[in-house]
Amino acid sequence: MPVAATSNFPIQQNRATLRKTLVACGALLSALLLAILVTSLVGSERLPSGGALCALVSLGTNQCGLTSDQFDILFQIRLPRILLAAAVGGSLATAGASYQALLRNPLAEPYLLGISNGAAVGTMLALVFFGRLEWSRPLMAFAGALLATFAVYRLARGKVGASPERLILAGVIVTTLLSSVIVFVTTLMDATRIRSFTFWLLGDLSGASRGLLPLALAITITGAIALTFNARSLNLLMLGERDAFDLGVEVGRIRIIVFVVASLLVGSSVAASGSVGYVGLVVPHLARLSLGSDNRISIPSAALGGALFVIVADTIARTVIAPRELPVGAITALIGAPLFIYLLKRS
Amino acid sequence: MLEARDLTIQYGDRKAVDTASLLLRPGIVTALIGPNGAGKSTLLRSLNGQIRPAAGKILLNDEPLEKFTRRSIAKQIAVVAQEAELRFPVSVLEFVLGGRFVWASGSGWGWESERDIEVAETVLKETDLSELSGRLMSELSGGERQRAVLARALATEAEFLLLDEPTANLDMSHQATLLSLVKQRCDERRAAALVVTHDINLASQFADVVVLMKAGQAVKTGNSAEVLTPELLLEVFQVNVLVDAHPVSGVPRVTPVHETFRHF
Amino acid sequence: MIPHTFKNSKFAIVVGSLVALVLALTMACSSSRTNVGNPSAIGKEVIDDAGRRIILPERVDRVVSLAPNLTEIVFAVGAGSSLVGDTSYCDFPAEAKSIEKVGDTLHPSLERIISLKPQLVLVSTASQLEGFTEQLKSHNISVFVTDPHDLEGVFRSITQIGDILGRSQAAAELVSSLRARSTAVETFVKPLARVRIFYQLSAEPLYTAGHDSFVTDLIKRAGADSVTADVPGAWPKYSAESALAAKPDAIILPTGGSMGEGNANVAEALRNSPAVQRGRVYKINDDHLVRPGPRAVDGLEEMAKALHPEAFK
Repeated sequence: MPVAATSNFPIQQNRATLRKTLVACGALLSALLLAILVTSLVGSERLPSGGALCALVSLGTNQCGLTSDQFDILFQIRLPRILLAAAVGGSLATAGASYQALLRNPLAEPYLLGISNGAAVGTMLALVFFGRLEWSRPLMAFAGALLATFAVYRLARGKVGASPERLILAGVIVTTLLSSVIVFVTTLMDATRIRSFTFWLLGDLSGASRGLLPLALAITITGAIALTFNARSLNLLMLGERDAFDLGVEVGRIRIIVFVVASLLVGSSVAASGSVGYVGLVVPHLARLSLGSDNRISIPSAALGGALFVIVADTIARTVIAPRELPVGAITALIGAPLFIYLLKRS
Repeated sequence: MLEARDLTIQYGDRKAVDTASLLLRPGIVTALIGPNGAGKSTLLRSLNGQIRPAAGKILLNDEPLEKFTRRSIAKQIAVVAQEAELRFPVSVLEFVLGGRFVWASGSGWGWESERDIEVAETVLKETDLSELSGRLMSELSGGERQRAVLARALATEAEFLLLDEPTANLDMSHQATLLSLVKQRCDERRAAALVVTHDINLASQFADVVVLMKAGQAVKTGNSAEVLTPELLLEVFQVNVLVDAHPVSGVPRVTPVHETFRHF
Repeated sequence: MIPHTFKNSKFAIVVGSLVALVLALTMACSSSRTNVGNPSAIGKEVIDDAGRRIILPERVDRVVSLAPNLTEIVFAVGAGSSLVGDTSYCDFPAEAKSIEKVGDTLHPSLERIISLKPQLVLVSTASQLEGFTEQLKSHNISVFVTDPHDLEGVFRSITQIGDILGRSQAAAELVSSLRARSTAVETFVKPLARVRIFYQLSAEPLYTAGHDSFVTDLIKRAGADSVTADVPGAWPKYSAESALAAKPDAIILPTGGSMGEGNANVAEALRNSPAVQRGRVYKINDDHLVRPGPRAVDGLEEMAKALHPEAFK
């Protein structure tokens, strides 16, 4: 917490440093790896913990006494799903953190801005028209997210540029518009597909086909790195676009980078798992509350924290009423909404 | 040298700045005065490239401003303006360190160096904010925040300081301190400052050059004695004034004379 | 500004009485239409699957069906001519397609139904129309809810609908023939080993038939054990791990009917199951399995034949 003091002592405190960042990220990364390990042992089918642990640590080279079915469950179904949860959580949290920095609004989130719905419409169109091509989904989701971003930005542009308030308002307009498009497309579908779409719209990691996992992970990692590399510029942007300009930030360029990278992150998440809510809102908040507003530490921490959050949420979603499953978005909302209210009250 | 040559800035049909010229030379404090809507802030903002002129040129050390990158402009020209609303908690130190961004080696990454911290400490001392460096900006008073904005600008070590009404929220003592600091900076480091202000007497006290603007045009440029005359001030401000010499410093002192109070 | 004439009190009395008279007449007319529940009206009382008591006129010849299986039942008992409206999903028999459509099963148009002036609307709870039912009641249209959980429930629906539409004889004959066929199947498969099957409603996401699903009963009668027979709910979303671990010996893929070409592939998790390895993946017309109507017995026979080929040479 801030301390008022004489000249030398406090200078080194109260600001993010490389050391602080490495410590925080190191801790979160360890927690993440631990979570991956622990949640791999849990599922609707019981696996022998010893054998499973041994197989995991050997990275799948040693079967460690597991039957081939058990091995398949662990490495073909459970682990890919956990890794996808990490990718989705990391993507959404990073996107949320960057939107909040760019738009100077702690409430900016892929949902509120209509980006997720844009990605959802893109995915739905890909499913309807290019159902066979797996790659069409993240591609069209990205396109949808980008178009939604563009629409929001054009709507919000006033004479003096897009103020955060106008952006949020425009985002709400685009979100509700796209929501009705989604509902419309849903009603055109037959009854059997409606059920699966409703589930998907609430966030569902079970349909994660292995083909998209490497892409999702690659996008999460490169996106988080790209945005972290611009974190210092985002710090200045957070204080005001005009001030950032005065201090040497190329505002237009950073804005494009954030919009494109965040759209990519959101697009890949939505294409893989539908709309998982609250991650982009709650996790960056927690990161900033505990580590400060400096984006150099809060963006990578949000990425790791988001991965952790969704892994835990998805584990709950797939075990609490096993062998049935809940949509992971329901769990993130159940955890996220009260947490968010608590955070609002604290600030 | 930072120069605006025959600058015209248009908003639709309206000319906010109309063929105005301005020259900032190292070591000189220039005050820019005039009524509301005269185009002072607009002119200031065009000097660092934020507003594009419709006609005329801006030259930084004899090179057109367009030739420079954003960062190199920011290294040479710093702005002190009313700070924008802060929505995220940031400490005074972090805020001031923002000024060191222009010296960062990487483009958007990189951490503050020893030198950065040194400079920050120095400017915090100069602006009398050392004790508050650990506090959040939101905990400071308006005047203290304004000093932090100045500190940040000073931290950039820029040659040209553009200040847009920097004394608006400051009490008397801090008004004087801030402008003394600016003047001292100019004297010692051969920096140049442009101060847009409503306080004509403050301008008279601290400025070497005064520029009087009206309706986008630079009506008169010169030292305070040349510019602060009752005739000119009446023409520009539509107010009768009394101009005498300050009893202590001897600089022109302007006193408005309100003969009657109008009843509506 | 009050016109001069209205200030005349005599005029006011005349206008007032006229208005009162019109109002009274309107109320009298509408109240006479609310007498469907009036015991003095001739009719019969039936109890539907939701336990509601419904009074119907002796002769019901204007019916709207809000589910495809109910449309099939109406035609099957020979009362197709009394059907004045059905849903966009009602496609069997062929004549059902030319009946006036009132919308789909989930969002039928209340206005369209009312404009067809039916005496009765047949509803399947699978269509989740409880709230809708209340609205129809307020327009004096009786609603009959069916909710069969198993084949016996289907027979009951056929019988009841036959009675309501004055086709009791045809309904009884139909039920007896269907029952004979289903009993024949069950007898055939009784001595055979029961096959462990997985019913895949959709692959991605993975949905199956649970305890409350109608098709679970059919599976049981076809001499098979559904590995998800005890999972709560009707159409639960199932864990891929559990599907893999279940190792079913056969997989039923409902497809080709209303589902179209979807669901033609086995889910990823089941790719290495015994069922796939032995080529025991059977595609059956989904309309025969999901619609609790006469064709459910077709579905039963098809499943039994597929699962026990040796018994049906």
